[in-house]
Amino acid sequence: MTGPSTGEAPALAVTGMSVAYGDVTAVHDATFSVAPGEACAITGPNGNGKSSILMGLAGLVRRRGDVRIFGAPAPSGDVRWAARHGLTLVPERRQLYPGLSAADNIVLGCYCWTSSLRRARASGPFGLALELFPEIGPHLNQAAGTLSGGQQQMVAIMRGLASDPKILAVDEPCLGLAEAVARRVYDALARIHQAGTTLVVVEEAPKRALTICDRRVEVRNGVASTS
Amino acid sequence: MKFGNLVIAGLVTGSIYAVFAVCVSVWYRVSNILNLAVGDFAMLGALGVDDLVRVRNWPLPAAIAVTLVTVAAFGYVYDRVVLRLATEGRSAQEGIVVTFFFTFALSFFIDGVARVLFGTDVHAAPALWSGRSLTVLSSLHVERAGILVLACAVICGSMFWLYISRTLGGKAIQACGENPLGARIAGIDTRRYRRIIFTGTAVLAAVFGIVESPITGYTYLSGATISLTGFIAAAYGGFRQPGRALLAGLAIGITEALLGGYVSAEYGDTVLYAILAALVLAWPRALGFGSAVSG
Repeated sequence: MTGPSTGEAPALAVTGMSVAYGDVTAVHDATFSVAPGEACAITGPNGNGKSSILMGLAGLVRRRGDVRIFGAPAPSGDVRWAARHGLTLVPERRQLYPGLSAADNIVLGCYCWTSSLRRARASGPFGLALELFPEIGPHLNQAAGTLSGGQQQMVAIMRGLASDPKILAVDEPCLGLAEAVARRVYDALARIHQAGTTLVVVEEAPKRALTICDRRVEVRNGVASTS
Repeated sequence: MKFGNLVIAGLVTGSIYAVFAVCVSVWYRVSNILNLAVGDFAMLGALGVDDLVRVRNWPLPAAIAVTLVTVAAFGYVYDRVVLRLATEGRSAQEGIVVTFFFTFALSFFIDGVARVLFGTDVHAAPALWSGRSLTVLSSLHVERAGILVLACAVICGSMFWLYISRTLGGKAIQACGENPLGARIAGIDTRRYRRIIFTGTAVLAAVFGIVESPITGYTYLSGATISLTGFIAAAYGGFRQPGRALLAGLAIGITEALLGGYVSAEYGDTVLYAILAALVLAWPRALGFGSAVSG
């Protein structure tokens, strides 16, 4: 929307980013960048700070260091700014609104760029999300909490897509999913990437992530290294 | 026809309980704080307007406008300063302290201020629609203020329902209640909605106080009773289900009127609270108290 896409600027430029919870440092001095249209995997064992990197980038937790989204310096702890500049998080454990319908969950993804429900429902990003996961169509009026794990993951990705992201940050998209469903999710992520969206995917096991990602950032003990 | 008249009177008080119960549960969904001061805002509305009109000779519309603006400003500042420090400040509190204490303290504070400003006598805002009670179907009597209360409840209730179900902002409010972290991820400012609803329900309570006070009359202590009944009705919806809170409010109002009419005018309230307590003891989970306790 308002993201100044200069062509030259990387989609994400992270310099010396740290995230701390009280006295515990979860991410220490992370530096990496992601080019526009690239798919980057952030891998490493659980509890080493991968999710904290994404939360810091998306503005859900406070961080130190410099983060630029398409060249624009991102303020710390401002989700709305990040979303308006094109970075949206599909969080670990999905974080849906269980009592609201699947359709309402998805349409709330549009909240960062409109306040009109009618405009949100008629928008391109909302339509695109429905198109990418036709299997959710029959369940749109069902409460999200009653959907299967795989369907909930799809709804979470759809909510992310409805925000019209330029960078989609996806945290452990296959956690607890059956193999066939996990393949379906990755198939969709590959299509989102092919459509030109920059992807940042956090995975504990790099194998699956590297089927769609061009690059990998390895995180160990809160320290990130590019390979 | 005694039964019909009692039901009508019960519907009027019940709709007030229902409105307050909905206010309590909607705000609890968004903030996890129980607003025990909602009744005190009603009392402030009624006695504030009465004071400006009767003592200071203000015209009624100006008195209503100034009272509502004052209540709104007070609610806004209280949320910005006290509740914000309590939930997000350096020494932020958690759990039961925040859930109860900060609005309970507010309730006492408002009562104290009201006692100084308005004294201890029973007063009421001037009737907005004065005249003798209307007679329907030859023997049913309806107070004009009662009709206004019902109309206000229906109008506010349907506007609120339309907002919640037909707008993106309304869905965002629901999302704040369902999953605050998930709401933030979608870029929803949960603090802003918390503030809007706290201030909005304070003003709504004041409006109902102004409209209803000609029927019952208010003292500086009336707020606590209204809050208590709204609170109990909200509890029957597990504090999180405005729809059930609304029905519970209406049921409590009608039961109260029937008990007052048929059992004892003096002990009606006592019997009512005994019934309410017995119901909770008998079916705590079915009545939603399970979710209230587990959060």
